[in-house]
Amino acid sequence: MNPGMKLLLVVLIALEISFTQSLIVNVILIAVSFAYVMVKRMNFKTLFLLVFWPLFPALGLFVSQWLYGSAGIHFAWVLFTRIYAYVFLGATFTLTSSITDLSLTLEQDFRLPSKFAYGVLAAFNLMPKIREEVQIIKTSALMRGEVFHVWSPRLYFKAILSSIQWSQNLAEAMTSHGFVEDEPRTHYKVIRITALDWTVFIVLLIAVQVMLFLIRY
Amino acid sequence: MENKTQTSNHQHQSKWTLRNIILIALIAIFCGIIFWGIGFLYTALTVALTPIGAAPFANDILMGLWCMAGPLTGFLIRTAGSAFLGEFLGAAVEVFLGGQWGAGAFISGLVQGVGSELGFTLTGYKRYDWVSLNASILTTVIVTFAWDMYKNGYNKFALPLLIGLFVTRYISTFIFGGILTKMIVKLLDRSNAFSL
Amino acid sequence: MTDVSITDFTYQYPKSETKVLNNLNLTFKHNHFSLLSGPSGSGKSTLLYFIAGLYPRFIGNDATGTIKFGQTNLKDIPLNQISRQVAMMFQNPNQQFAMDTVIHEMTFVLENIRTEPAKMDAIIDQALTFCGIQQLKSRIINTLSGGEKQRVALACIVAMDTPVIVLDEPFASIDPGSRIDLIHKLKELQEKHGKTIILADHDLGNYQGIIDEFYYLDPKSHRINLLNQQEAQHFFDNFESTQTINKQLNLPPKTDAQSILKLRDFKLSPHDSLLLKLDHFNFYKQKTTLITGANGIGKSTLFNALTKLLPYTGTILYTDKNIKKIKPLNYAKNVTLLFQDAENQFLNVTVKEELDLSFANRFNQDYTHEQVEQMLTKLDMQGRDDQVVYSLSEGQKKKLQIVEMLIMNPPVLLLDEPFKGLDYKSLRLITGFLETAKTKYGQTQIVISHQLSGLEDLIDYHAHFENQNLTYQGVI
Repeated sequence: MNPGMKLLLVVLIALEISFTQSLIVNVILIAVSFAYVMVKRMNFKTLFLLVFWPLFPALGLFVSQWLYGSAGIHFAWVLFTRIYAYVFLGATFTLTSSITDLSLTLEQDFRLPSKFAYGVLAAFNLMPKIREEVQIIKTSALMRGEVFHVWSPRLYFKAILSSIQWSQNLAEAMTSHGFVEDEPRTHYKVIRITALDWTVFIVLLIAVQVMLFLIRY
Repeated sequence: MENKTQTSNHQHQSKWTLRNIILIALIAIFCGIIFWGIGFLYTALTVALTPIGAAPFANDILMGLWCMAGPLTGFLIRTAGSAFLGEFLGAAVEVFLGGQWGAGAFISGLVQGVGSELGFTLTGYKRYDWVSLNASILTTVIVTFAWDMYKNGYNKFALPLLIGLFVTRYISTFIFGGILTKMIVKLLDRSNAFSL
Repeated sequence: MTDVSITDFTYQYPKSETKVLNNLNLTFKHNHFSLLSGPSGSGKSTLLYFIAGLYPRFIGNDATGTIKFGQTNLKDIPLNQISRQVAMMFQNPNQQFAMDTVIHEMTFVLENIRTEPAKMDAIIDQALTFCGIQQLKSRIINTLSGGEKQRVALACIVAMDTPVIVLDEPFASIDPGSRIDLIHKLKELQEKHGKTIILADHDLGNYQGIIDEFYYLDPKSHRINLLNQQEAQHFFDNFESTQTINKQLNLPPKTDAQSILKLRDFKLSPHDSLLLKLDHFNFYKQKTTLITGANGIGKSTLFNALTKLLPYTGTILYTDKNIKKIKPLNYAKNVTLLFQDAENQFLNVTVKEELDLSFANRFNQDYTHEQVEQMLTKLDMQGRDDQVVYSLSEGQKKKLQIVEMLIMNPPVLLLDEPFKGLDYKSLRLITGFLETAKTKYGQTQIVISHQLSGLEDLIDYHAHFENQNLTYQGVI
């Protein structure tokens, strides 16, 4: 499915179930999403982490709602399953789509100006370097006898100084590679939103509406 | 904190140039990676607070951190939409790093982004000082809290608990989005980082 | 014909007194390979950025004078046409790609210049073949070595097929094999494809007999001169002579007794390619060990492992304790790195704040304030208390960085190219300070340096990095 449509669908459904209170629909969404990522072959470790980490916030919400909430145990379960629905809905996108393809479709089909599509993409592609940079900042602080925490202004100060330098370098390099803001470009890989994409999008969205309408528990 | 407009060497409005877009994205990713390291802290807090049913406090205690990229980018790159983009991308990074919120982080990113952006909208993208920063903090807290009324079921809690959560969130956002952001901006200003 | 002619060209940085480029009048000739040399920080890059059309767009102010491509003033070329005229290769291989993989980057480039999609495959294959990197086509750029990244950068330029190619210190961090190979590729582009090549480099190795013209940017007059045959030869010979100093040295003792850092069954292989394998290697206490070896071979990577910035396999022992078991802050206080990029060391804003931080957090009280003041005065760094460290010149940053790490006075100091961008006088002063730190305060020093002349007195041992191995030598 077109990655942009998929993301839109996932976000719309997630947004909708934030306001609805159907335990069964949440469970169905989890099951369907789970089946989808299994078909797309996910490794066991990823799956385990996907189930394990959300357990804490989900349980936390459940217990507090159960103890202090006015809506009883059913609503507590709704919140519990809602967390997992977010996670598995998100996984259907993140585990099966590439950021590059998302940028391409956002540029070509969703009319996002190319400077946003490629500017943000270029920054994302530096992610491994950014991790290293955070490590370097923290280590160099230790070597000056300072420990940086998430609340240390100078940690962000140094990170932003690097960002300023890197954004300048990247923008210059992209410009030198022929990129000009707001100028038309050709497209090697043409990504279209097909009739099938529309059909799947509409059918799934309607299916969720129908379920939410019919299944109130 | 003094309430005067002393903040900046770069009084000009920013534009949506390629460089500024990359800059916002990089700052957001830096923030995302820095916060990701405290995911375990959030989990630990949640575990500790769950037995007494106070787990939502973990969320509200750390809210300021998660909402920091918005005020920061909004303040540094002075144009409509920069706070929203920074905050949203900061959240999106968490999704791709494999955070524990999945699609929820996208939506939280959208909501938090709108929250931090609104403050700068209210001050007309004209002033960038302690006032606009506070406006941003206020709108962030109100918008995200309204959102959690539904998403995290806060609307089913009794008033005292709600007030407790709201105040916690306000303090957290004030400390990270306000005081910390202000300190960072001051360091950047003193070093003329933006006068390239 | 695309001569690049520069007329009455003057530039000074905002808020700066000196004209970094002072009334330049010169012509880089069509279909020539021109080398532009001069000390680091003398303004070579600035000129190239203007020629590439990136400045003034990406900098605060404009220059006076004109740059012409053939008969056309660069300023009259519309933005979307500049990249049909000139392409640039940058010094830092890490921040010049927007996309994740090689093939994506190359299509991105061709899409930008509005190449017909149907023609792209052929162009890309041709460019990759020319650069000898067809096998990298689908690789993720982040996992490539510096040398491979610069080959990809060249492939992008070849695909763009611009008449003028500008290169800013493109070989600063890549291995010698890639360097020689890329220089020959550039020559081929000039001779067989009629390109005009303008390359800035302060390292003169491998250019003799290849370049057509040798320009020198004089750091005093801030002007560029075209050198004649004889002058050029003089520069090449001079450069050659600084590459060795021919000094006899002792080999370290065979025992472990005097060692402070021990590497055992040590293996360093970032991105799954083996850089270094050491079964048994020691660094010795209160000695200065020089590490030499080609660019890009892994010297800095070794320092990153020694400071726990990078994962490795095997064991590193510091005073017989596994460094993985020493707490981060404690270890960082004992084994400290003087970063190659001075800005990495700075945490504060002004010179005074930086020095005060070192005084406040130093691990011992060995240096008095008076001593430090004297060092600063000798280095011509006194009275700069309120200056913002990021506004210092590269040389001044380096001096400040070294002084603040001397104040910290850690037992082991790793120095990564500490003399880069320093004049000879400052270098001699600093080697003197380091000598004192060693003999008086017992510091162990491990130095990576390309600059050798002037270090004779400081160096005790010399280890050469080659063939994934580090071996002590009896001579420098």
